[in-house]
Amino acid sequence: MSTPFRQCAETIQRLSRAVEKLGTLVGVLRVEPLEGREWYDVLRQKLSPQLTDDAFLVVAVVGGTNIGKSVVFNHIAGTRASSISPLASGTKHPVCLVPAGFCDDHDLAAIFEGFRLDEWTRSDEAMQDDDEHRLFWKTSDETPDNLLVLDTPDIDSDALVNWYRADIIRRTADVLIAVLTQQKYNDAAVKQFFRKAAAEDKAVIVVFNQCELPEDEAYWPLWLATFADETKIVPEIVYVVPNDRRAAEANQLPFYERQWRNGSESTTASADDLEQNAARDLSADLSRLRFADIKLRSLRGSLNRLLDDDTGVRAYLREIEQRSSEFLATAKRLSLDSVVPVNNWPTIPNKLLVAEIRQWWRDTQTGWAHNVHAFYDTLGKGMLWPFRFAGRKLRGEQQPPLERYRELEWPTCLKVIEDVFQNLTWMSESGSGLMRPHLERILAGTSRRELLHELKRRHDAIELEEELHDVVLERMRAFQTNSPELYRFMRQLNNVSAAVRPVTSVVLFTMGWGPAGDVVAQYVAHAAAHAVVPIVADFAGGTAAAVAGESALSSVAGQSAGFLQAKFQELQTTFTARRAAWLADQCKELLLGTLPAEMQSAADIPRSDAFRDVAAIVDALEEQLAHSTKESLV
Amino acid sequence: MTTTDLEQLELLARVDEIVGRLTQWTQADTAWEPMRHAQALIRRVLTRAEGLRIRLESPLVVATFGGTGTGKSTLVNALVGRECTKTGRQRPTTRRPVLIAHPQTDVEALGLPIDDFDVTRADSTILRDIVIVDCPDPDTSESETPGSNLQKLHRLLPYCDVLIYTSTQQKYRSARVADELGQAATGCRLLFVQTHADLDEDIRDDWRRHLADHYEVPDLFFVDSVRAIREQFAEQRPSGDFGRLQDLLTTRLAASHRIQIRRANLVDLIQEALAHCRTSMASKWPAVEQLEAALEDERRKMTHQMAEQLSAELLQSRGLWERRLVEAVTQMWGFSPFSLMLRLYNGLGSLITGLGFLRARNSAQMALVGAMQGARWLKSRQRQKDAETQLARISTFGFDDALLRESQFVISGYVNSAQLDVEVAGRSTLDDLRDEAIAVEERFLGDASGRIEQIIKSLAAKNSRWFVRWIFEALFLSYVAFVLYRVGKNFFYDTFFRELISSDGAAAVALLSVDFYISAALFFVLWTGVLVMIFVGRLKMGLQTRIRQLAGELAESRMSRGLFPQLDATCAQIAAGRLKLDALAEATHELRNRIATSNGLGARLAPAGEAPTILPRR
Repeated sequence: MSTPFRQCAETIQRLSRAVEKLGTLVGVLRVEPLEGREWYDVLRQKLSPQLTDDAFLVVAVVGGTNIGKSVVFNHIAGTRASSISPLASGTKHPVCLVPAGFCDDHDLAAIFEGFRLDEWTRSDEAMQDDDEHRLFWKTSDETPDNLLVLDTPDIDSDALVNWYRADIIRRTADVLIAVLTQQKYNDAAVKQFFRKAAAEDKAVIVVFNQCELPEDEAYWPLWLATFADETKIVPEIVYVVPNDRRAAEANQLPFYERQWRNGSESTTASADDLEQNAARDLSADLSRLRFADIKLRSLRGSLNRLLDDDTGVRAYLREIEQRSSEFLATAKRLSLDSVVPVNNWPTIPNKLLVAEIRQWWRDTQTGWAHNVHAFYDTLGKGMLWPFRFAGRKLRGEQQPPLERYRELEWPTCLKVIEDVFQNLTWMSESGSGLMRPHLERILAGTSRRELLHELKRRHDAIELEEELHDVVLERMRAFQTNSPELYRFMRQLNNVSAAVRPVTSVVLFTMGWGPAGDVVAQYVAHAAAHAVVPIVADFAGGTAAAVAGESALSSVAGQSAGFLQAKFQELQTTFTARRAAWLADQCKELLLGTLPAEMQSAADIPRSDAFRDVAAIVDALEEQLAHSTKESLV
Repeated sequence: MTTTDLEQLELLARVDEIVGRLTQWTQADTAWEPMRHAQALIRRVLTRAEGLRIRLESPLVVATFGGTGTGKSTLVNALVGRECTKTGRQRPTTRRPVLIAHPQTDVEALGLPIDDFDVTRADSTILRDIVIVDCPDPDTSESETPGSNLQKLHRLLPYCDVLIYTSTQQKYRSARVADELGQAATGCRLLFVQTHADLDEDIRDDWRRHLADHYEVPDLFFVDSVRAIREQFAEQRPSGDFGRLQDLLTTRLAASHRIQIRRANLVDLIQEALAHCRTSMASKWPAVEQLEAALEDERRKMTHQMAEQLSAELLQSRGLWERRLVEAVTQMWGFSPFSLMLRLYNGLGSLITGLGFLRARNSAQMALVGAMQGARWLKSRQRQKDAETQLARISTFGFDDALLRESQFVISGYVNSAQLDVEVAGRSTLDDLRDEAIAVEERFLGDASGRIEQIIKSLAAKNSRWFVRWIFEALFLSYVAFVLYRVGKNFFYDTFFRELISSDGAAAVALLSVDFYISAALFFVLWTGVLVMIFVGRLKMGLQTRIRQLAGELAESRMSRGLFPQLDATCAQIAAGRLKLDALAEATHELRNRIATSNGLGARLAPAGEAPTILPRR
């Protein structure tokens, strides 16, 4: 037999693979896993194995606990294949009757994926407690040769694992034999189960078990009407079975077939109709089922379930899209909220800046000017030494200025961290739930302490001198290349000054300016330091930019007197921005880790190949299904 | 009044007492969110308890409970002995609860929402002391939608005192019914009945096994309601389990047992609520513990830092130590020549180092100078501080703003995780912290100066023993004596007396000149100086070890108050609140054991109690 869905089979296999791949990707989105989604289970448990191999029907006896499923099953089997017990929730694992020779052509393990298969040996095996999902199969000569008949665990007892197993069998099945009783036909759990079956368009045979005949002849149509209304199931065949314990145990219950059409009153003939009271052979009736139609129906039903707009794979794709757009929004908000203006970053003492520039200037000098200046510098140092020594003795040992600067930086770092945390707190209180677990972890006391500790350690370890050196080098090189004329002019000035150095030195020294020489340059530059340059640190991105610096500079730089000042300020700004960038980097690493990147990748999933693949395959499948439906109508 | 009556009254009083204490507990202010939730829950339970207490003596409300088709209505009819409520084979049959009462029973007094019921009157002996409610089923509705059977059931369950839980061979393991019973059973006595004895097999053993995990099951009845009705119509006494059930309902639920049953229900209800609250609070408690630990950590960090700083500063302030030590010794010594010299030395020293030290530039000096001086100094510091709030204050112990802010930053994280309401627990601003830091320092220094005082005293005492004292006095006086001897000999003998007694005309010796006095004074100064030096050196012996020891002790000492006293108090208050609830749970448990009304009625097992809160180390 070949159903019109043969061509879908290959598409389904591709879909299966594509979905698996997508499933591994979307872990970061924190969506519910694929397992447990009805459409996915249908895909895996029904469509994947049965679209390619469809020359059989799976018939499952299903229903609530302790209403005689196993009894009905045994009647089909013609033997006591499944144990019956007066106690509820007896059958814990499915039992399957397999026609002789079936296994030669079919892979039973593929059909019942998710179960451990064992060959049937005793009827009470299926009653044993076992955490593993097991299925016992028994070769049977009684059942028609293209039917797999199953007894299943219950769908309503307090052993929830039974529900799970019954659900797998439901998806796999083409025909469900719904065993109902007057106590259970309207139970919530039962209705929910059969509603799902109806959605997958299973063929359903209703067996009303344990009826009080003939009184209940008047009631079963009402029960069935309620059941059909609630579950949308249209039964293929209806049987009524009397409550006869002895017959049940002897495997000799009579199954009376009844005609029923919902909404019509002419459902029952009179009870004494001879035809009515002829007991049917269930097994024989099953073999008379319109085999191909039913298979087609259940496969199409499952495909429809898979492609259902509200609960199928499309809904899953929509969920992913929506989730990742949330991620995108959150990522945006994170980078927006983590931008913190940094004010009052301490300026580095100009003394240090000047010293660094001098050092650079000295290093770039060549020739005789270099020698002259070097000589005088050494001389100056020697002459200044007693003053410095005296100063040190008088004021006591002073902290190196860079260390003091480091100490000044720390409160600012702290302030910035406080600001960031304020934003993050606000975000965790108001933002979407996506970030909350992560944020809450960051905001907890322990991680705060660790953060401070680690940041402090890194802050103490950083080589400020090198930083400063790099900045000065970079800026001065830029000066050298950007204003070569000015640079040359300075060089010449330097040479001239070298030539007259003996004179100037003597003059300065005799005037008492010798030791003060150092101070003069500093004083000139000092005024520059006070202009505050706001820095903006972006923690999610880990960057920092000086915002107002350039504009402030250009306005001042126009004035000739402002030139030197502007140059110093530029250096200051560069250095400060660099320090703020360092802090931003650290914060990004310590606070957010790889989170921003993760969020970005999560936000990108709908644009990934895996996602597009699934969407494309679903489109193709839909087309094929529409086509095949049209064909079958023709 | 009989003893039993008294006992009953006493038990009632105990219940009242627990209710009273619980009410009190719910009224306590707390900053801890989980405790507030618990308070809200208990307040609700108390409202229900109040209702129970009001109708303590009205007829018991006995209701059926069970899956659809388990024969609830049939059973009710059989119990009453007539058709009071509609039975049927269509599910669900009963959609509106039916209240069956004796014609003389005042239904209004039961406090039931009477509009929700169909009320039927029946003159039946079983209804003399009780009313029976035939309830809708819990298992045909898929969710609690308005008008559903489930919703109706949930509305009336709080008014029921006894539930007759009916089940059948088909339904006794239904997950849905079991879940609903789990919710309904608290605050109710239970009767377990397997119906359909005419059709079904007896599964009571298996049923009992499944029930035993959650319920006390003294008895299970296996009844055939249909036969019981037949028997009653035939004016026969119902036989078998049904007869037993009917007997139990008439005797054990009689008027005299009402209070007992309602009281037991009330205690159950309270116990369940308490267990729930305690579990939820216990699960949130570790965060508070972490906060406590963090506060303790901050305190320890502060103490360590202060102790370290103090010891460093103490080791540096040599001059001040000397002066204090010498002062102590001279005070002990009283007036003597050498102590006079020591005083002189001390005075000179003070003069030289100026008032600088007395104005105590650092905390160690302050501790040395003494607490009196210290208070004044702290005040001036405070004023100084207020003036310079703009600048980060470098405090004496290096509690600069950065450190305080670090503490605040870390602690606020813990406060958040602990779910403390900051508004109630108190938000501390930087200014508050500064003040607290000063208070902490003050207390620490007070403690430290006391100990320093002790060190000084013990060192001084060690060097004021008569032996040491006399050696130094003698050495000092020996010089004075020597000079006096020289001067006296020269004055009396050499220049005067010798001339009188000897006539050999030896050359007259001249009186000692100024030169002599100058050198004598010089040597006096030197000698005194050497002695004082040696003495002071002796005094300072072992001082360093003492200071280190002191610093160690101070570092280990536990501060009673840290930077966040409000949070400390809040944590303690939460712990106290939990302990109170534990005590209440204990009392309730005890009471439940005492009033255990086995009485043939089943009940929900006492909730698995949360282990009692371990007393926090204080």
